[in-house]
Amino acid sequence: MLRKEQNDLLTSTGPGTAMGQMFRSYWIPALLTEELPENDCPPVRVKLLSERLIAFRDTNGRYGLMDEFCAHRGVSLWFARNEECGLRCPYHGWKYDVTGQCIDVPSEPEESGFSKKIKLKSYPLVERGGVLWTYMGPADQVPPLPEWEFVTVPSKQTFTTKRWQESNWLQAMEGGIDSSHVSFLHRGDLNSDPLFKGAKGNQYNLSDSRPVFEVVESPGGLYIGARRNAENGNYYWRITQWVVPSFTMIAPRGNHSVHGHFWIPIDDANCWTWSFDYHPLRELTEAEVSAMRDGKGIHVKYVPGTFRPLANKDNDYLINRAAQKAGRTFSGVEGIAMQDASLQESMGPIVDRTKENLVSTDNGIIMARHRLLRAVKAFVDKGILPPGIDPVHQKVRSAAIVLPPDQPFKEGAREAMIARPDVAPASV
Amino acid sequence: MSSAAEAAFRVQAPNSRPRAIKVVALDTAAEAVVRRLAAGSWKQATFFTAETFTRNLTDEVGAADLVVMVAGPGGHAEAATLIGKACSDRRIMTTALVVDARTASDEALSKTLSQLRPWSLMMVIADADSYIEDMLAALRA
Repeated sequence: MLRKEQNDLLTSTGPGTAMGQMFRSYWIPALLTEELPENDCPPVRVKLLSERLIAFRDTNGRYGLMDEFCAHRGVSLWFARNEECGLRCPYHGWKYDVTGQCIDVPSEPEESGFSKKIKLKSYPLVERGGVLWTYMGPADQVPPLPEWEFVTVPSKQTFTTKRWQESNWLQAMEGGIDSSHVSFLHRGDLNSDPLFKGAKGNQYNLSDSRPVFEVVESPGGLYIGARRNAENGNYYWRITQWVVPSFTMIAPRGNHSVHGHFWIPIDDANCWTWSFDYHPLRELTEAEVSAMRDGKGIHVKYVPGTFRPLANKDNDYLINRAAQKAGRTFSGVEGIAMQDASLQESMGPIVDRTKENLVSTDNGIIMARHRLLRAVKAFVDKGILPPGIDPVHQKVRSAAIVLPPDQPFKEGAREAMIARPDVAPASV
Repeated sequence: MSSAAEAAFRVQAPNSRPRAIKVVALDTAAEAVVRRLAAGSWKQATFFTAETFTRNLTDEVGAADLVVMVAGPGGHAEAATLIGKACSDRRIMTTALVVDARTASDEALSKTLSQLRPWSLMMVIADADSYIEDMLAALRA
């Protein structure tokens, strides 16, 4: 459990909140690059950290992210014309460049310089690995650009999607490090999902359904190891990475792609679940990308034209009670991503953690909260930058590995947990 | 369906009864940590050295919902076997915490892990001992 004030602290990310300030110290994913596919394309509404913004790509290919509303009468610039290096409000013609600077107020004499006095709040927007990243913190404290491996490998080796999740970011993220749910909720998918099946490691999973967990602090967050019995007294380890505040990377299976998530607050009751798959050494195959587009693995099918999952709370996630009863799916919901999201959304927009009853196997979640609380306090009270900003903390990998029984996995998988170009992931 | 408005209609009655959590220091490094914890205000946690816990092992384990074993890296945590076996026999959940692990050598950590792993159903290797306090609070101790 958390006390109410702790729960409020971690789940509130709007302007002026402590956790909001901390989120604003990172580059965070804002849009897929494909959402702004060409110069002068239509602008896109973006809501992040409880701020309503508008993103656009100007005539010269520059990206902009700024206050959604025209400074004149408060009209949404989603209706704007994207033309000649700026967004022009269709109401009275006020025009803004990618920095939010007003560059034209047609009703005022140009010589008056009035437009120079108008500027919308804006944030940098940079493309990296098929994702447009923004930094919403103080302009004099811009961190190094993101170095996550999934955005630094060649484009044909990586695939990223995002989906709208109707819950606070924290309960979604906690689902990502809640390793003990896998043996229940996802048990039907290991041998059927095309992005998981066939790996030798699956057999360890299926033959030992009572893993023992070890949680170890890492420089950027946590290593969460799940150990199962392997041959000759050795242990099969699946090591998840969590990096503060909301990056997770799941242990790989065989030669399948490696995958993970970012959970980014839209507001306090909604978040974006970003899901990436990549392989450090090879291009993703057409079959793999096709499966990902079809909602397999950690991806979803969408309501056409949106980022809302096709199975969502308005249709009870298309729950199939017959499949649940027959054991084809444990919860009756199809697909790993929506199996997770359906249950996390069912907790309510912001779960009341004063009422929960955690148990020992929840230590990954408890430790993550402990580190978040520690980091946000140090950041707000003393200005100490939180973990996860340093690019070294971002160059990490999850791992699946067999180790001798007495060996700390942090030692045995030390090299495997560092992202290095041209080095294969540790996977079983 | 779940919405902010509906969340207000959650049943407010208590949904659990207190659990008895026994925290045992296995070595001298852990004793200092556990002694400090014992000075705090807890509802359902009680604190022991390995010696005091094993003196009444059957009774203590029999009255526990969870036994937390605390050790420092490289210490003498042999009591884990005795306590762990008693817990295993009675199907009592065990958690092991290795504290102050930030600067521990791999050898020291290996030694401790070899003593704790066979008897722990959950293990945490923490950089600082402040984690135990948060863990116990999270478990409603």
